[in-house]
Amino acid sequence: MADILRERERQVYRKGDLQPFQLDCEKQSAAGSVSQRACVFCGSRVVLYPIADALHIVHGPIGCASYTWDIRGALSSGPELHRLSFSTDLQEMDVVQGGEKKLYAGLCELIDAHQPKAAFVYATCIVGVIGDDVEAVCKRVSLEKGIPVLPVHSEGFKGTKKDGYRAACDALLKLVGTGSPEGITPHSINILGDFNLAGETWMIRDYYKRMGVEVVSCITGDGRVDEIRRAHGAALNVVQCSGSMTHLAKQLEEKYGTPFIRVSYFGVEDMSKSLYDVARHFKDKEMMKRTQAMVREELERLMPQLADYKRALTGKRAAIYVGGAFKAFSLVAALRHLGMTTVMVGSQTGNKDDYEQLRELCDEGTIIADDSNPLELSSFLEEKDVDVFIGGVKERPIAYKLGIGFCDHNHERKEALAGFEGMLNFAREVYSSVMSPVWRLTPRRRGSNLEVVK
Amino acid sequence: MARRSIAIYGKGGIGKSTTTQNTVAALAEAGKKIMVVGCDPKADSTRLLLGGLAQKTVLDTLRDEGGDEVDLNEILRPGYGNVQCTESGGPEPGVGCAGRGIITSINLLEQLGAYDQELDYVFYDVLGDVVCGGFAMPIREGKAKEIYIVCSGEMMAMYAANNISKGVVKFAQAGGVRLGGIICNSRKVDNEQEMIEEFAKRLGTQMIHFVPRNNDVQRAEINRKTVIEWNPACEQADEYRALARAIDNNQKFVVPTPLPMDDLEKLLIDFGLVDGVAPGTEVVA
Repeated sequence: MADILRERERQVYRKGDLQPFQLDCEKQSAAGSVSQRACVFCGSRVVLYPIADALHIVHGPIGCASYTWDIRGALSSGPELHRLSFSTDLQEMDVVQGGEKKLYAGLCELIDAHQPKAAFVYATCIVGVIGDDVEAVCKRVSLEKGIPVLPVHSEGFKGTKKDGYRAACDALLKLVGTGSPEGITPHSINILGDFNLAGETWMIRDYYKRMGVEVVSCITGDGRVDEIRRAHGAALNVVQCSGSMTHLAKQLEEKYGTPFIRVSYFGVEDMSKSLYDVARHFKDKEMMKRTQAMVREELERLMPQLADYKRALTGKRAAIYVGGAFKAFSLVAALRHLGMTTVMVGSQTGNKDDYEQLRELCDEGTIIADDSNPLELSSFLEEKDVDVFIGGVKERPIAYKLGIGFCDHNHERKEALAGFEGMLNFAREVYSSVMSPVWRLTPRRRGSNLEVVK
Repeated sequence: MARRSIAIYGKGGIGKSTTTQNTVAALAEAGKKIMVVGCDPKADSTRLLLGGLAQKTVLDTLRDEGGDEVDLNEILRPGYGNVQCTESGGPEPGVGCAGRGIITSINLLEQLGAYDQELDYVFYDVLGDVVCGGFAMPIREGKAKEIYIVCSGEMMAMYAANNISKGVVKFAQAGGVRLGGIICNSRKVDNEQEMIEEFAKRLGTQMIHFVPRNNDVQRAEINRKTVIEWNPACEQADEYRALARAIDNNQKFVVPTPLPMDDLEKLLIDFGLVDGVAPGTEVVA
C-alpha cells in the first residue's frame, strides 16, 4: 500500500472505496509532503510568459528569474522578447535600502533597449516582505514611457500556484479594454488558456479559421499585447486551461458581458466536441457544416494511423499527474481511445467538481489524488504496475527511476499534443515510450514481450 | 576585566540615545574603553560623542563602496574620551528593510574586526520598538548580554518597557541575555521614583538609577555634547556618573517577569497616576 501522510489521507481516493466520495482539495500543501506544486510567482510566470512582445522583468533575487527562464516551449511567430529573462537581481543592500530605484532604472533601461509593447513586473517574496511599492514604480514608468507597465502581485508565499494564475489574470485584466474593438466581426473569439507549446495555438487557430471564426487574441499563446488590449471586442471566450484562465473568463463576462465556454484540444473526442461547441454557440448553420466537414477530413486522415498504435497499446496501463484537472479529463479519454486504462490520475490544482467528474470518468480501482508528492506517486506507479506515466518535468525522474515509460505533457514539451495532429503525436509518444525495449532491461520488467507495430 | 556588551532599549523618544551617550561619556571619563553601535536608521546615537552628525553610516558606506572596499576607519570614528563610534544607519523612511540593515551592518562590523579591539564595553543603542527580527539582532546569541530599559512614569513608557521585557524573556531562553535594570529618565510624573521602583521589582529587576529631569541636558545637546563634556562640574553630570558606576558595579542580572496588563494598570492606579474612577464617584471601600 502507498505511503500517505496522515494529513493527506483525505486527498487520495480509490474509486470503489466504500465511503462516500469526498476528496479534499484546494488547500495549502501539507508541510513535509514535498508537493509537486510550484510557487505563486511561478504560476504567474508560466501564464504570462508566452506574450512575446512584452518585457517580463522579475523583481527579486536572481534565482527567481533563472528558475523560470524560458520555462515553456511557447513559440512565437514574431518577436521573441519573452524568451529573455530579466531580473532586478536584488541583493543584500537592495533589500536594506529598498528595490524601487533599481526597478525603476531597470525598467527604463530595458524599455529603451527593447521597445516592448508592454511590461510585466513580477513581485517575488522578498519584495512583498520589504514592501516595495511596485504599483507606484509601474505607474511612473508607464507615464514616462507611454506603454502599459503592469505589476503582477505574485509574492511566492501568498498561497499556491493557483494564486499565481489569479495574479496573472488580474494583470491581464488591466490590459484588456485598452485597445479599440473596431472591425471585430460577430463570429469572433479569444482563445484562452492555450500557450502555443510546440506551435499548438497555430494549429487551433487554423481550425477556427477553416470554420470561419475570427480569433481576436490568444491568451497567452503566441500572445501580442495589442491583440490582448482589444480582447473585450470578441463575442466569445473559449477557455482551455481551466485552472489558469477561468478567473479571467469570469471577469471578462462580468465586465464586458462576454460569455465563455470550456473546451479541450486534447484527444479526438474532446477536440471535435470543442469545435462543435463553438460552432453551436454562434448558431450559424454554414459554420456548423464547415466544422463537420473539417472534422471529418481530419478524422479520415487520422483514424487509420491511430489504429496501428491502438493495437499495440490496448490493455496497457497509464498514470497521469498534471497541473490542471481539465487536461486530466482529456487524457483519460485520449488514452481510452488508444485502448489503454488510466489506473491513477491526479492534479495539482483541481477542485471538488473536477474530481467528481474524474471519478465518473474513471474505471473502478483508479486512484485519484490531489496535490500529490514523489513518494506517493512512486508507490502508486509500482502498486498499479504502470506502463507509462504522463506528467511534467518533475514527474519524469520518478518514472525513469522506477523503469517506467514517460510522456511529457507539461509546458516544457517540444511536441505538439493538441488538435488532431497532436493526437497522433501523442499516440506515437506513448507508443514509443511504452514499447521501448529498454524496459526489458530494468529490474521491474525483465522478460516482458516486445511488441512491434507492423 | 571581561568585556561587557550592553543593549539599551525603551519607548521611542524616551531618551535612550541621550542617556546612553551621557553614561558612556561618564564611563570613558573613568578610563573605560568603549564602542557604541548605533542601531537606529536615524543614525543619531553617537551625535553627542562625536560633536555632530559627522558619521557616515555603515549602510551608506556599504552602498556607495561595496562590501569589499569598506575600510573600518571610515565607519568607526573616535569621539569623546576615545569612545569608538559607529552608526548602522538604514534606508530612507518608508522603503527597504531597516531590520535587515541592522543585521547586515553588525555582520560587516564583525567581519571588519570592529570587535577585535581591546574594549571594556560595547553599547548598542536600539530603535524604540523591536518591530521585527532585525531589531533583535543586538541581543541574539553572542551579542549584548545585558539589557537596560529606559523608562519614565508615563503609562506608554511603562507599557513599552513591559513589552520589551517579554522580548527579553524570549531571547533569554534562546541566548542567555539578561535584564540588568530599569533606568528611570524622569518626566516629573507624580510618585515617579516610587512607582518605577515598584514596577522594576515586579519585573524581578531593579531601578538602577533615577535620572532627574534637568535642562542642562538640552543645553549640552544644543552644543552637540554630553553634559559630561559640556560642563563636567554640573549636577546632572554627577547623575550620569552615578548611573555609570551603578552599571559598572551591577551584579543583578535577571530573566524578567513581565506583568499581565491588568497588574500594570493597577500599578498606575495605586500610585495615583491614573484616576481609576470618574470624578464625583463615591468609592466603596
